[in-house]
Amino acid sequence: MQLNVNGTSHDVDVDDEMPLLWVLRDELNITGPKFGCGIAMCGACTVHINGQPARSCSIPVGQVSGLVTTIEGLGTPDAMHVVQAAWVEHQVAQCGYCQPGQIMSAAALLQMNPNPDDEAIDRAMSANLCRCGTYPRIRAAVKTAAQNIREKNA
Amino acid sequence: MQIKSFMLRAAVLILLPGFYAFAQTADSLERTDSLELKDSLERKDSLERTNSLEAVNSQNATQAWNKVYEVFSHPRCANCHVPKDNLPRWSGPHYGKTSVHGMNISGGQSRIGVETIMCSTCHAQSNSDEPHGPPGAPVWMLAPVEMFWWQQSSKQICEQIKDPARNGGRTLEDVAHHIEEDELVHWGWSPGKGREPAPYSAQETADFVMLWASAGAPCPE
Repeated sequence: MQLNVNGTSHDVDVDDEMPLLWVLRDELNITGPKFGCGIAMCGACTVHINGQPARSCSIPVGQVSGLVTTIEGLGTPDAMHVVQAAWVEHQVAQCGYCQPGQIMSAAALLQMNPNPDDEAIDRAMSANLCRCGTYPRIRAAVKTAAQNIREKNA
Repeated sequence: MQIKSFMLRAAVLILLPGFYAFAQTADSLERTDSLELKDSLERKDSLERTNSLEAVNSQNATQAWNKVYEVFSHPRCANCHVPKDNLPRWSGPHYGKTSVHGMNISGGQSRIGVETIMCSTCHAQSNSDEPHGPPGAPVWMLAPVEMFWWQQSSKQICEQIKDPARNGGRTLEDVAHHIEEDELVHWGWSPGKGREPAPYSAQETADFVMLWASAGAPCPE
């Protein structure tokens, strides 16, 4: 089957039932999305499918239609996405394992709502767990990214 | 002696027609009474039969509705037919204690989570095979808020499902058809590993709705 990831089309020969995360990591060597719980409970595997956040560990690749974006496709070290830049500014990461998923969820939130209040941030981000407890820095970074987006769009 | 005999015969002749007439009238009255009684008995019998049939219909309708309520109030259905707080519920034997959906999840006013986090972020088009993995169906969403069943009584759900303003503008035949056809409704009977399915089947539930509807769709008092 054909799978478009980060703007590149790939031919993959896998079972339709294989979770998208397995295809990304083991078949395409795209290892930004992480395996955490394997049951869509932690958010470490979050990617975008057509701009919407999705838990790649629980979506069979045969059900994916459209463009897949991983943390590698969101921005690069030389040209960071506004959310990645805010993450660096606030030094959000501690161990960092959950952060690709956190950033993908935050980017999807700000795409829908460029001015989220605390409640909206909590609603959108509560299903991304962080064992290090970086939640206060996550919230601060989301607000900074939101402000930067609004200023850019003003 | 001759006079007495004459008087006796005269009395007989005078009285006999009267007696005959009386007897005839009494007989006629008796026949009339008998016909009326027969008619009345027949009517009574017919009424009893009708009452009896109505009782049977009413009993069947009540039994059919009770089964529909068993289905509608089952966790596989009621967990997503939630009130205007838009919070999916986690209840049923495998959950232990009842709670709202974990991880601060809300269906939002859209009931597909578009204002917060889409239901489809975690719920794919099919059930996860992993223990405690997310269930899925081709469409995953909360039921419209007016179709609120969570912890509602049999009477409340009965009145709701009959009300086109609160049942999606459906007749009861449409409701039965919806149960027969809708893929998300069908998920209730194939909810994936570890989850108790709704009782009966989609077809049986649709049949219960039609049986209940055909008897006038009575609701519990």
